[in-house]
Amino acid sequence: MTRLAKIPAGRYLDFALFLALGLFPLTGLLFYTQLLQKYLVFLIFAYSLDLLWGYAGLMDLGHAVLFGMGGYLMALSLSAQNGVPEFMARYGVREVPAWLAAIVPLPAAVLAGILIPALFAGLLGRFLFSSRVGGVFFSVITLALAQVFNLFIQSQQKYTGGFNGIGGLPGLALFGRPLDLVQGYYLVFAVVLLVYAFCRGLTASRFGLVLRGIRENGARLEFLGYDPARFKTAVFMVSGALAGLAGVLYVPVNGMIAPNDVGMEFSTAAIVWLAIGGRGNLTGAALGAMLVNVVGNALSENFGAYWQLLLGAVLLAVVFFAPQGITGALARPARGSGRPKGKGMARRA
Amino acid sequence: MDSFVALLLNGLNSSALILIAALGMVIICGMMNVINLAHGELIMIGAYTAYSVTQVMGRSFFAALPAAFAVTAAAGAVIERLVVKKLAGRPAETMLATFGVSVVLQQMTNILFGAQSKYVAIPIAGKLAFGRVVVPYYNIFTVLLVAAVTAGTVWMLHRTKFGKRVRAITQNREMAECLGIDSSRADTLAFAFGSGLAGLAGALAAPVRSVSPFMGGPYLVNSFMTSVVGGVASFSGTAAGSLLVGESTALLGGVSNDVLANILVFLLIIAAIRFKPEGLFAKERR
Repeated sequence: MTRLAKIPAGRYLDFALFLALGLFPLTGLLFYTQLLQKYLVFLIFAYSLDLLWGYAGLMDLGHAVLFGMGGYLMALSLSAQNGVPEFMARYGVREVPAWLAAIVPLPAAVLAGILIPALFAGLLGRFLFSSRVGGVFFSVITLALAQVFNLFIQSQQKYTGGFNGIGGLPGLALFGRPLDLVQGYYLVFAVVLLVYAFCRGLTASRFGLVLRGIRENGARLEFLGYDPARFKTAVFMVSGALAGLAGVLYVPVNGMIAPNDVGMEFSTAAIVWLAIGGRGNLTGAALGAMLVNVVGNALSENFGAYWQLLLGAVLLAVVFFAPQGITGALARPARGSGRPKGKGMARRA
Repeated sequence: MDSFVALLLNGLNSSALILIAALGMVIICGMMNVINLAHGELIMIGAYTAYSVTQVMGRSFFAALPAAFAVTAAAGAVIERLVVKKLAGRPAETMLATFGVSVVLQQMTNILFGAQSKYVAIPIAGKLAFGRVVVPYYNIFTVLLVAAVTAGTVWMLHRTKFGKRVRAITQNREMAECLGIDSSRADTLAFAFGSGLAGLAGALAAPVRSVSPFMGGPYLVNSFMTSVVGGVASFSGTAAGSLLVGESTALLGGVSNDVLANILVFLLIIAAIRFKPEGLFAKERR
C-alpha cells in the first residue's frame, strides 16, 4: 500500500522545477536556454514513459520507437515544405509521394506524429497484452522492436536519410511565423505544463487508480471485473501519443533527427532517467531526466566514457540501495531501501 | 541454383553463430528465469578475449576458444554472485541491474581498448569449392563446433550430476533444496556455464564480425528473438529458431535486404507470443 501513497513533497518539487525552468531564459544565457529547451522535450518523453512504466508497471525498453515515429513524420513534413527533399531527390524521387503530401501541412504532421505512434502502440498492445505472457516479455519484445525499428530507419535511405538522418530543418514556428529562441522555449514549456497537468489528472482519475492496481496485482483487478489487457493497451496508446508529441517537438527544437534518436540507445537513456529519478509519481521522471541530462552535459564533454561508466554504476547502486529512485528515497527515508516484501524473496536464498 | 545453395550454406553459418549465442540465453533465461541484459556484453568479452589472445599475445585461435569460455564464465560467476543472486525473484530489478552491468562492461572495454573496431584474423584459411559454390573452411569448422557444443551441453544437462541438479532446480527449487542440493552454488555454476557459452559465441564470431565495445546489442536482441521463437526452455526449439532466423536472414538478404528478414522475424515473434506463448517449436505442456 505504501506505493500507492502520494508524496506530498513531490508536488512542491514539481513547482520548484517548473519555476526554475520558467525563469531560466531571463538569465539571458542563450546557449543553455537552447540546451534546456531540448531537455524540456525530454521531460514530455519522461512523463510518457512514467505513465507506462511507473504507473502500469510496463517497462518499455523501446520507447524511443514511438518518439521516433513522431519525430520522423515531423522531419519528413518539414523537409518537404518546398517540394521534394534533397535526400530523396538523390535517390531519384521526382515527385512528393502521396503519403508525404498528406503530412506536408504542419497541423496534419503534428496530428499524424501523435496519432500514428498511439495507433501503433494500440496494435502492439492488443497483441501482446491479450496473451498470458508475463510483463518481462513486454520488455524483451520492445527491446527487439527498438533494434528492428532502428535497422528499418537506416535501411530506408530513400525516405529517411538513412544513417545520417534528416537534418537542416527549420525551427519552431507558430501560425507560419518563425519563433526566436526564447519564444520557442516558452512554447515548448507551455506544452510541458499541459502534458504535466494532463498526466496529473489522468493518474489521479479512476483510470490511474486501476492502472496502479494492475501493477500491484493484476489477478485481483481481474476478479473485480476489470480487464487488465484493455487498460494496459489504453495506457500504452496514451503513452505512445505523448512520446510521439515529444518526437514532433524534438525535431524543430533539435534541427535534425537521426537513427540514434529512435533506437535502443535513447530508449535505455529514458529508462535510466526514471530509474534514477523514481517512478510512478511524475516528479521522479522530471527530476531524473533533468539531473542526468544536465550533469551528463557538463561531464560528457571532457569525460565521455567515464561519465557513461559512472552512469552505469549509479544505475546499479540505485537498484540496490534506492529501488524507487530519488523520489522514493526522499519519501520514505525511515524505511531504508524500501525493498518490497514478496514471496519471491524466499525463492532463492 | 548455385547462388541459392551458396545462400543456404551462408545461412547455415549464421544460424550456427546465432545458435551458440542463444544457447547461453536458454540456460540463463529459459532455465534459471533470469533476464540478463548483459548477455551481449558477455559475448563481447568473449570476442575481446579472442582478440587479446590471438592479436596481442600472439597465440593460436584454438587456444583463444577455451580462454574465451573461461574468462566469460568467470565474469558470469561474478555477475551472478554480486548482482543477480541478490535480486532473485524480482525480474524488473534484475533487468535494470543487468542493464547497469552492461553499460559498465561496455565503457570499461571502451576505456581499456578504445572505441574503434578490432579485427581477428581468420584462423583457418582456404575454401572448399563445389563448382561455383564456395564454402570457407572456417564456416565448416564453426558449424561443426557449434553442433558439438550444443550436443555436449544437452548431454551435460541430462547425464551429469551437475546437469541433473540444475534441471531439478528448474523444475522445483524448494523440493531440490529439500533433497540436499545446494541451489545457490548450482545457480552460480549454471550462470557461469551459460556465460561461458556466450563467450565462446563471441570468440567464434570475432574473425568474421567486427569486435567493438558496443557490439553486444544486436547479439542480445537476436538471442532473445531466437529463444522466444524456439520456446525459451527448449534446446531443440532454440536450434530450430536459430535456423529460422539465420536462414531467413540469409535468403531474404540475398533477394532484397536483411532488414526485411529482421522485420519478418519480429512479426513472427509477436504472432508467436500471441498465439503460442510457449514457443513455436515447444512440445505441448503436460
